Amino acid sequence: MSERKSGESRKGLVLGWVVLGGSAVVFAALGLLAGSIIERRAERSVNRVQMITPIGDWETDNEKWAINFPREYNSWERTRELAEATKYGGSEVKDYLAKDPRLVILFAGFGFSKEYNSPRGHYHSIKDVTSTARVSEKTPATCWTCKSPMVPKLMHDKGVAEFYKGKFKDHEGVMKDPIGCLDCHDPKTMALRISRPALKEAFARRGRDITKASHQEMRSLVCAQCHVSYYFRDKETNYLVFPWDDGFKADDFDKYYERTKFVEWVHPVSGTPMTKARHPDYEVWLQGTHAFRGVSCADCHMPYKSEGGVKFTDHQVRSPLYNIANSCQVCHRWSEDEVKQRVESIQDKNRELLDIAEDAMVRAHITLGDAVKLGATDAELAAPRNMLRRAHTYWDYIAAANGMGFHAPQESARVLAKAANLAQECRIATERIRTKYGAKSEAPMPDLSTKEKAAAFVKPFVEAQKAKQARAPQGRTASR
Amino acid sequence: MLGKALRVASLADVPGRLRIACFVALGLVAGLGMYTIRVSEAASYLSDDPETCINCHIMVPEYASWQHSSHARAATCNDCHVPHTSAFAKYYFKAKDGSRHSALFTLRRERQVIFAIPESRKVIQDNCVRCHSNVFETPQVHTRQDRACIDCHREVPHGRQHSLSATPNAAVPPLGASVLPFVERNRTKGDER
Repeated sequence: MSERKSGESRKGLVLGWVVLGGSAVVFAALGLLAGSIIERRAERSVNRVQMITPIGDWETDNEKWAINFPREYNSWERTRELAEATKYGGSEVKDYLAKDPRLVILFAGFGFSKEYNSPRGHYHSIKDVTSTARVSEKTPATCWTCKSPMVPKLMHDKGVAEFYKGKFKDHEGVMKDPIGCLDCHDPKTMALRISRPALKEAFARRGRDITKASHQEMRSLVCAQCHVSYYFRDKETNYLVFPWDDGFKADDFDKYYERTKFVEWVHPVSGTPMTKARHPDYEVWLQGTHAFRGVSCADCHMPYKSEGGVKFTDHQVRSPLYNIANSCQVCHRWSEDEVKQRVESIQDKNRELLDIAEDAMVRAHITLGDAVKLGATDAELAAPRNMLRRAHTYWDYIAAANGMGFHAPQESARVLAKAANLAQECRIATERIRTKYGAKSEAPMPDLSTKEKAAAFVKPFVEAQKAKQARAPQGRTASR
Repeated sequence: MLGKALRVASLADVPGRLRIACFVALGLVAGLGMYTIRVSEAASYLSDDPETCINCHIMVPEYASWQHSSHARAATCNDCHVPHTSAFAKYYFKAKDGSRHSALFTLRRERQVIFAIPESRKVIQDNCVRCHSNVFETPQVHTRQDRACIDCHREVPHGRQHSLSATPNAAVPPLGASVLPFVERNRTKGDER
């Protein structure tokens, strides 16, 4: 009897401890679950960040904005990251001249043949502009225009034209804040705002008041303050101008430069008066289907992102290929792999078309150079040189733009076809002139397999041009 | 048999103080369990009320885009997103889908941009046909179901953009109180003061 009782009580003891231990485990698990539910409930009622510390009218220090907008700031700060490159772009630095030595010929006698690297994120703007080989003692202050939010204050104090007239070196060391908050935002209301005069002026010349733009338009226009093509009006004022008076297409740029007779530099190999298109990202985007459907720059390059319950704009401006889910898939409901394949197949085709145009243009420059050597006169070569200048305008419109043709695939193909055709027309015309001067075969092509070899080929032409200029000093403003 | 089960359940064999501790522990579990049921609004999951679907914030863009669509006048979330072949099928699917959602959400494994999974797509398609059967009288249309209705009618009803980009800062009904009603009343009274 007592044995049975002790057995019973041992069993009871075990049961008791099991119930107690089990309850503890369940209690802890329930507590964790309830805690998680409460936490995630709270996420839903989080409002957008309120302005805690007011921001000054000219606050260029991006960190000062961070107190009020930590998520936006943290994502902006990540533009410092040098992520592994996408197939044709991305945040990693690429040496375009090494990858494509033809560029050394195409930009011979011009800064872009010295150094031409792929761009890094906004965070690096000050460092990159001060360390490039394209900047020298002669570089105007205009080159600072897009590199720091400190520029609008300087323009405000000195006057816009006075700022442009200065020298780049004058502001070195003073400019410290890289492209950031104040470049696009009103510090009181956070509304998007145009801070650079060149865009306002270009719109005004086209009869449009930029202050009337809608919010969705502003989500592209703040980018168009800088990601556009431009030139400096003349060597005295270095006034920044967008060549938009005839329109935004490559053909309109061609017409504009034809009309204004602007010459940026004279090509030392072929003697061609040249112009340079700068990254016409906004202009090319305007020709594409995304612009047609009202999709802005920010929609793809700064997609919405959520952290907890807070939804905000990702300020890590970068290639959408780094975040296909948030940028592409909100509309294109296919797999990430399929999206990426579509993009890269478009870009591959554009790269091939660029190659075709570049080959033709390089041959045209060298053929023209050979015609000069054979004794052809400037009057004879004026027409083919103009064809080559135009070819360069068309090609550069696509080559200098970011996106490798993706922003407007069909338009890019059309423009590159025009570039290749103009270059070949130039070569045919030049070959005819060479024949007149006794040439028996096509102009010989040098070895351009590396950027060093290409630079060695160009060097004597550059020196000859310098010597000629020293003999007849007429400045760099050649006429055509 | 019943007597034995009762004896185990009432912890009759557990020695004195341990037995009390066990009851206290079980009471805590029951109490916290009830609180969890309240704070998670568990009962609402049995209803067809669309506000249930935004108990967590992930579905806010879907709720807001639905609310502004013409479907909001005729169909709730459940009308399209759970099967209606039988009451069992409905609640079985709801339980399965709901468990998946709550597990992903609790473990913070949810995607930034959400997609309908294949099982869900099938249910949606069946429900398009369920209401719009008049459209499918033509046999060719009815049988050609390798494409779903929403493959072409992509903006029905959640709009052209999905997930995050659909409705920035959408205004949606607030969550119910997580505390007891009289406490909540005092809170709002405090606001007035």
